[in-house]
Amino acid sequence: MSPTRFASEHRWIYLYAILLLLALVVIGLIQYDGVKTTNEAHRKANQLSDALVAAGYSAPDTGGIVRTLGTDGGNVCDDPATALKSSLWKINLSNGSSGPGQRPVISDRRVVEAEALVLGVYCPDRLDRIQDRLDALRTDDTVRR
Amino acid sequence: MSTTDVPSEIPRPQTKAAGQVAVPAMKWVTLALMTTSSVASLRSAPTMAVYGLACVFLYIVPAIVFLLPTALVSAELASGWSGGVYRWVSEGLSKPLGFLAVWCQFAMTIFYYPSLLAYVASTIAYVIDPSLASDGVYTAIVIMVLYWTGVWVSSRGTKAVAGLSSWGLVIGTLVPGTILVVLGLVFLGQGNASAAPMGASHLFPQWTGLASLVLIVNNFLSYSGMEMNAVHVSSLRNPAREYPRSMFLAMALVLLIFILPALAISWVVPSDQLSLTAGVMQAFDAFFSYFHVGWLTPIAAVMLVAAALGGMLTWLAGPSKGLLLISREEGYLPPFLQKLNKNGIQQNILVTQGVVTTAIALMYALIPDVSSAYWIFSVITTQVYLIVYLLMFAAAIRLRRTRPDHPRGYRAPALTLLCAVGLVASLAALVIGFVPSSQFGGSSVWTYIGIIGGGLVVLGLLIPWLFLRFRKPNWRTAAATADEGSAV
Repeated sequence: MSPTRFASEHRWIYLYAILLLLALVVIGLIQYDGVKTTNEAHRKANQLSDALVAAGYSAPDTGGIVRTLGTDGGNVCDDPATALKSSLWKINLSNGSSGPGQRPVISDRRVVEAEALVLGVYCPDRLDRIQDRLDALRTDDTVRR
Repeated sequence: MSTTDVPSEIPRPQTKAAGQVAVPAMKWVTLALMTTSSVASLRSAPTMAVYGLACVFLYIVPAIVFLLPTALVSAELASGWSGGVYRWVSEGLSKPLGFLAVWCQFAMTIFYYPSLLAYVASTIAYVIDPSLASDGVYTAIVIMVLYWTGVWVSSRGTKAVAGLSSWGLVIGTLVPGTILVVLGLVFLGQGNASAAPMGASHLFPQWTGLASLVLIVNNFLSYSGMEMNAVHVSSLRNPAREYPRSMFLAMALVLLIFILPALAISWVVPSDQLSLTAGVMQAFDAFFSYFHVGWLTPIAAVMLVAAALGGMLTWLAGPSKGLLLISREEGYLPPFLQKLNKNGIQQNILVTQGVVTTAIALMYALIPDVSSAYWIFSVITTQVYLIVYLLMFAAAIRLRRTRPDHPRGYRAPALTLLCAVGLVASLAALVIGFVPSSQFGGSSVWTYIGIIGGGLVVLGLLIPWLFLRFRKPNWRTAAATADEGSAV
């Protein structure tokens, strides 16, 4: 293949890749719906903060909870009990690899507990559907606090 | 796409065989970026941020006992022999073991792509409509389209892969990683206390016995893949000098990418707010929301997609090329699988691999029982991959003893010690792979050992043995014979 043809063909591949990524960025920015800091969001953040403190966690920054979880828990409540979502989070209970070396580990007990508390406050119906899977996880205290 | 037997992109011998097309030379920096792209991305940063300062320990210790031996040993081997792991093991141990090494490197990727692309599909869903992430048909379509696009790009030649994976790393990992670190430093510079304790006592992870050992030893595998791109060493202008350089740069980049963004997230987002189930994007959202730039989250999502796809391209191009090279020399695969396209790429291996991957991916996306249990394949495939390292370190020791005068552009210091450390680390990871993880719950340990051991034997030993057992002498191609024994 001549160098000119080679470069020309690859230019098209790069161009399509860039256009595709830019299109996704535009869609993402249009779709992005920032969390509204309503009274309800503050009430739920305080509720979660109380639940975390009662469970022995240090008092969290409720402002941060409001910005992240809003009133409906955002992405956290986006049905983690479905087969595909379960598959993804189970695969991600892993070591520090981001490539094919990714492999499951024994996760931290407190992180699993905190997850259940978040789900309990923001989407208790979702917690009901996933509680048995969280309970079935083998955990240990692997994070130094 | 038409196929031809003109091997334009197999390693360049000193004297080119007639009819070979000159390969466009690759820069050593490009190879370093490809290597980094294969191994590191920001995908694991939220997972490791949970451990706070201890994530430094969890990356540095494996770097000493696994990354350093892997990088230095493969740098020496690649500076002396072209072709990557198959040739190193072939020259150092035996040709069947060379085939076993490259088979294990290749086979484990078949199960890797569906989980990687499912992550990409869920990240794209985050950008478009998060509810899509639970939709099997959507996930199956995204996996199919992206995988086969990757095969098509790979079939255009190594240069296309090199360019896209390098840019994927820059756009998808280096830029957002730098933003995370800068914002993290701004957070601390504003006088905020780090969300994760940063005292000296927190440098070490909590010791709880077996669970901690599993965490530390399994982290050795974070660096797996460092040697994979050595198969492209012949594309460098001066492999003997440039490959070691590219490995050192890749090593530094991988360490920076793994450690600094994870630390930055741990400074800003408390570990109890890093959702276990919501995935990587929730952590980025929590991070950016603190700085009131939550709109950066979908942009970061697209960047992560670019990085993941760039990494996938390197894995498509690397092991399959190694498999082709040894198969052409020794006739380990049927002639159909040895065919090259007009760009000199192992198109039929890629397509055959694609058919198998498609079947697995469809089962993953559409059958809930398969998706729920898919994590277990990541244990089996990493076990299979460890066979590659055991063979590579053994081959390196043997080559130093049996062929000490073979010209090498780089000689690793204390190679025997490095290999011994690498061998012990690989064996430790292999053994620890039989310890049931969180996902297995309280089920029988022996069942777990049976599943992992069975998968290891079937995928890592039985299938390659069948190829070796049923190979035919006439499968060996004349074109490849010209390359035999060629050194860099």
